[in-house]
Amino acid sequence: MSLLKAPKNTPVWIDPTKCKACDICVSACPAGVLSMRQESTSTLGAIIDIVALESCIGCGECEIHCPDFAIHVADKKSDGVTFAKLTPEAEQRAKLIKDNNCRLPLNYGK
Amino acid sequence: MNNREMISSGNQLAAIAAVDAGCRYFGGYPLTPSSEIMHTISDLLPEVGGVSMQMEDEIASICSVIGASMSGKRAMTATSGPGLSLKAENLGLAQMAEVPLVCIDVMRGGPSTGLPTRVAQGDVSQAKHPSHGDYKSITICAGNLAECYTEVVRAFNLADRFMQPVFVLLDETLGHMHGKAMIPTQEQTQSEIKLRKQFEGDPKEYFPYGVAQDEPAILNTMFKGYRYHFTGLHHDKHGFPTEEINTCKLLIERLFNKVEKHEDELESYEEYMLEDAQILIIAYGSVSLAVKEAIRHLRKENIKVGLFRPITLWPSPADKIKEYTQKIDKVLCIELNMGQYFHEIQRVSSRLDIEGLFKVNGRPISPDEIIEKVKGL
Amino acid sequence: MAFDYEKYLRLEKMPTLWCWGCGDGVILKAVVRAIEQMGWNQDDVCVISGIGCSGRFSSYVDFNTIHTTHGRTVAYATGVKMANPDKHVICVAGDGDALAIGGNHTIHGCRRNIDINMIVINNFIYGLTNSQTSPTTPQGMWTVSQKAGNIDPTFDACKLAIAAGSSFVGREAVTNPKKLEKLLVKGFSHKGFSFMEVLSNCHINLGRKNKMLTARENLDWIDSITMGKMKFDKLTESEQTNYLPTGVLKEDSEAREYCEMYKEIQAVHQGKRATITQNDFEKKI
Repeated sequence: MSLLKAPKNTPVWIDPTKCKACDICVSACPAGVLSMRQESTSTLGAIIDIVALESCIGCGECEIHCPDFAIHVADKKSDGVTFAKLTPEAEQRAKLIKDNNCRLPLNYGK
Repeated sequence: MNNREMISSGNQLAAIAAVDAGCRYFGGYPLTPSSEIMHTISDLLPEVGGVSMQMEDEIASICSVIGASMSGKRAMTATSGPGLSLKAENLGLAQMAEVPLVCIDVMRGGPSTGLPTRVAQGDVSQAKHPSHGDYKSITICAGNLAECYTEVVRAFNLADRFMQPVFVLLDETLGHMHGKAMIPTQEQTQSEIKLRKQFEGDPKEYFPYGVAQDEPAILNTMFKGYRYHFTGLHHDKHGFPTEEINTCKLLIERLFNKVEKHEDELESYEEYMLEDAQILIIAYGSVSLAVKEAIRHLRKENIKVGLFRPITLWPSPADKIKEYTQKIDKVLCIELNMGQYFHEIQRVSSRLDIEGLFKVNGRPISPDEIIEKVKGL
Repeated sequence: MAFDYEKYLRLEKMPTLWCWGCGDGVILKAVVRAIEQMGWNQDDVCVISGIGCSGRFSSYVDFNTIHTTHGRTVAYATGVKMANPDKHVICVAGDGDALAIGGNHTIHGCRRNIDINMIVINNFIYGLTNSQTSPTTPQGMWTVSQKAGNIDPTFDACKLAIAAGSSFVGREAVTNPKKLEKLLVKGFSHKGFSFMEVLSNCHINLGRKNKMLTARENLDWIDSITMGKMKFDKLTESEQTNYLPTGVLKEDSEAREYCEMYKEIQAVHQGKRATITQNDFEKKI
């Protein structure tokens, strides 16, 4: 199954076979939806992870900034997906992630 | 039957031949003594809906010709020695990507700026191997006015048959020679056009470079539903770059085999008074005209001389050369260079006692000089 | 429907050979999105790339593609376009390819104003061959061929294109892919030579030895040296030396396109009109 095809009711999804762990999508996301996580079999030992799917506002910045077609965002009009609104909590999480080398701090939410 | 009588110059005949043979794109740059080809074709091509471009330099000329040919049009350029040197890298890409085109070289005195308005045959070695790497050159040399037409037409058909550049060598004497030529009619030329092979099946089953080991690539005209990739890198059957050990080996071998296994289709030569010859002269291009005149004089004095004139220079007519050099004791190679084809004759005949008459001062060789040399053998 | 990239990509060739975070991938995506907006048929598009990392561009897209020799994209494109004037031709070349070895062809493509779309991916270095100085490498930066520090001055490629006669000139960066896509659409729609410089990040070659190890640092640096044209125009001349203006820098829809002018030559030779004279042109020199 090609992961370029949109799965149903999903605001954002990834194709792990294409991710090169460049961190750019994580630094572009305003809502702290994304984080890099350790993955020893992948490029640079890391891979993209969706950590807060419910916070995705559908801005599409991650998709247009990704050089490798590894992350996709549903279309606002035609995919029937409801995107979230940007909350201060989400913005704070985004900052935490960016300041921690694009990785969600291990103690987040605990 | 060549029964169209035309009074023209070699350069002009070459341009007329190209348009008759279906050439619809010309890219060139002024370079003495080939410029008249561009001047003539720049009037003829737009008339038939074609395009003639004077590009910004020699390299842009060949690149635009390759681009036009990649898109499916018959395309040509015309130049001289210095221009051929400049075009070398991109001629290599045309060889590698198997792009058909005709490159006319009207040879002049060299090396470097040399003698721009004077005759030489100094590009024979260069036409054999203008670019780096391994590939087989197809080079034709016109030996009289009519051949300035017929050989250009043949070059286009050979280029499409073998899917690579074909060089047509003229020289300054022939290019600027003005006289009568008996050439085929336009209809005759057009009826003998053999365009490149096209694949007609499902695009998903189209592999442009996936052909037999002795066949050229099948490159479909662009914009018709068959999308593929051209590259100068080593490539696989799709045209995509690869470094795979076996693919690379087979690709280069195929570039050689596609020519070497079909040399019979390329061979062309003239045998003049060779049946009873005791002295063999090997010459090509405008030199052969002086040689024939010299032979006529020598024969009157009962000196049995004959001429073997290769028309396709590369690949050389090795079997014929070997046959004649084994049969005839005295062999003389006459060229307006320091022995560029002489070395090939030596190689093919395995004889180190071949005589040479080389003239490199930019003047044509006269029948008298030839007669003197032959008598001194 | 989320955007269907599959249609335009040669998926069997992916993932790309470009380094992690390389701007080339962002530009690839923007070009594909722009072509979708243009509604062009894939069979009518020819993408021609040069040598370098940007040169691999053409093998990833499913159009009629050509990977040429170094510096010659515009020359090949001229042949393709003149032989097929109603098709869409896109050149993709790097800063070394288009401005060093290919400088002459770039100039004459601009001069002729032929309807070719030229995308110059400027990453300020020779990437594929490992960090040699390019005509746009900032002075003082470390390059492998000038380890004591680059002394070669740079030049503004867009200014060159404007002076040479290109009728559409624009610049964007991979830091803003939305704006980049808009610029590409404008350039593709424009009839005439469209010169589009796209600033890109090369953290592996330029950045790593110049204190910008990550993609993010290189992108931030590009942000710091670019400025929208309107804001840029308000700066003093000396302030302007440290910025490159982005946006549409020139758009002349009246300029005559070369293929259209060549049709007039064909008309003359076919007896359909009188010879072209100086009076056919506004500019007399």
